[in-house]
Amino acid sequence: MTQPVTIIMIEDDEGHARLIERNIRRSGVNNEIVSFQNGTDAMKHLFGADGSGVVQKGNALLILLDLNLPDMTGIDILKHIKENKYLKASPVVVLTTTDDSQEIKRCYELGCNVYITKPVNYENFANAIRQLGLFFSVIQVPPAAT
Amino acid sequence: MTAEGQRRRAFWQILLFAAGLLVLTVISAGSVYLVNKAREDSKWVVHTIEAENQINNLLLEVRRAESALRGYLLTVGPEFQADYEKAAAAIIPALDRVTRLTRDNPAQRENIEKLSAALETRLGQFAREIAAIRQGQPDMATALAREAAAQGATTMIGNAARAMIEEEERLFRLRSANADHSQTLAASMTGIGSGLVVVLALISIWLVRRSGSARDEAEARLRDANLNLEAVVDERTADLREANDEIQRFAYIISHDLRSPLVNIMGFTSELEELGGDVFRRIGSLAHAPAGEAPLAPAAPGGVALEGADKQLAEDFSEALGFIKSSIAKMDRLISAILNLTREGRRDFQPVKIDTRELIEAIVTTLAHQAAEAQAEIHVEPLPDLVSDRLALEQIFSNLIDNAIKYLRPGVPGEIRIRGRTKLGYAIFEISDNGRGIDPKDHQRIFDLFRRAGTQDKPGQGIGLAHVRALVRRLGGTMSVSSELNAGSTFTITLPIAWNVSNRNRDR
Repeated sequence: MTQPVTIIMIEDDEGHARLIERNIRRSGVNNEIVSFQNGTDAMKHLFGADGSGVVQKGNALLILLDLNLPDMTGIDILKHIKENKYLKASPVVVLTTTDDSQEIKRCYELGCNVYITKPVNYENFANAIRQLGLFFSVIQVPPAAT
Repeated sequence: MTAEGQRRRAFWQILLFAAGLLVLTVISAGSVYLVNKAREDSKWVVHTIEAENQINNLLLEVRRAESALRGYLLTVGPEFQADYEKAAAAIIPALDRVTRLTRDNPAQRENIEKLSAALETRLGQFAREIAAIRQGQPDMATALAREAAAQGATTMIGNAARAMIEEEERLFRLRSANADHSQTLAASMTGIGSGLVVVLALISIWLVRRSGSARDEAEARLRDANLNLEAVVDERTADLREANDEIQRFAYIISHDLRSPLVNIMGFTSELEELGGDVFRRIGSLAHAPAGEAPLAPAAPGGVALEGADKQLAEDFSEALGFIKSSIAKMDRLISAILNLTREGRRDFQPVKIDTRELIEAIVTTLAHQAAEAQAEIHVEPLPDLVSDRLALEQIFSNLIDNAIKYLRPGVPGEIRIRGRTKLGYAIFEISDNGRGIDPKDHQRIFDLFRRAGTQDKPGQGIGLAHVRALVRRLGGTMSVSSELNAGSTFTITLPIAWNVSNRNRDR
């Protein structure tokens, strides 16, 4: 059962979202990208109205997550995803401006798969995203429910 | 309590003491004088009584002589004659004694004269009567006795003696009154003096107690002030810590949030640059394409040379983008610097025992390349060991040694010296060089964030010393600089020998 992987992008800054999307496309990844600008909408989409996550059962998801959101921290979203039985197998890429080592450590401890800091140097940024695209093309994303 | 008040109290106490001493002296002298006077008065009283006694004794002798004579006259017994002889013989010595005792009184002298005259007369009569009896003429003796009685010599003797006794009694009364008076005076003087001394002592005690209570009160106030001061200091320290923490958080959040738009600016500037490249390539290909050819033929990148006004436009465009990009890069460096500083401020220190010399030798080794390039020699003298945070110390010393190498005088071989000593639980380190030095007016400025001083010929953000000072302060130390332009600099760091983690944890 191969199903196209949907990329869920949770990023409050429109500019960042646009830059990320553009660079993902440039790296040749054509999967559907669903973007959310705040945590509440993203949570609703991921976990459904009842909060159980059953709505995503059988979907293959890859989640791009910013840590600094207006309504909640990305860390909380990460924690919820990794505690949910339907979603915990979905890879989570944390993509944020924070480069604090404590924060990075915390994210990996909570089960984040990749942590990328957004560098101001655009070349580095674009490279990182393109490599992420490469990464997307080689990883096998399991469906959310097993 | 004022110094004036203290001086006044001391003056009063000395005055009281002096007054007490004076009163005691006066009482002693007065008592001695009065006691002497009382003794004198008593002596006079005794003298008076003695005089009276002697007068009475004289009268008694006269009476004895008279009665013995009468007995002899009646019986002519030889025992009466012997009695008479004895009495008559005692009269004159008794008179002499009276005379001697009353010699001091002119009134008595007069009486004595009368008395002795009367006595002489009476003794003469006695002698004549005795002679008449011896010659065996008792009648004649009787007649003589009668005659003598008629003459009243006995009465005269009695009168004179009474006058004398009266005088002596008057004197006795006078003198005993005097003696009484003296004694009363002595007693009251002693009493009043003792009272005065007691009163003075009471005042003294009161003064001492008052000054004692004033001292206690001052001590209590001092203690209160001390406690209060400590509380105030604690409060202020807590306030400062809170303010400091707030600034740290603020700096962190600000620098963090500033970064987010910067990513967009940089990203879309790059996009714009790419777009600009595409646009100018299109213009170039359009300008070069002969009329009628398809304008959208893909041009090889950079393959089309722009001409004239188009070239100028393309250059202006990339110049503008270049300025934007370099400014963004600079802003990013500043924000990163603030982030790093705040991060350093939030890091927990781990105090460990540090071999300072080894730590500095390691830093010197890593900087050996730069030092060789700058022709600088680094001398590390014996240094005291510390208990402190290793990373912080490494950052402090490597920043300072790096600065010393960086800011040497061109053409002068560098000499950098690291010295250390201990004083009162603190280790003092000095990093001195013979470099270009710092103008004294810039000594404060060099510790400010993003501020630099002197010739700006070396790359740098103006962060190092601000960072070093923040670290030194967090480690409970202080740092200072002494330097003159072109005369080298010496940075002095004072750190506690044993940095205690608890005084840091209290901040949290």
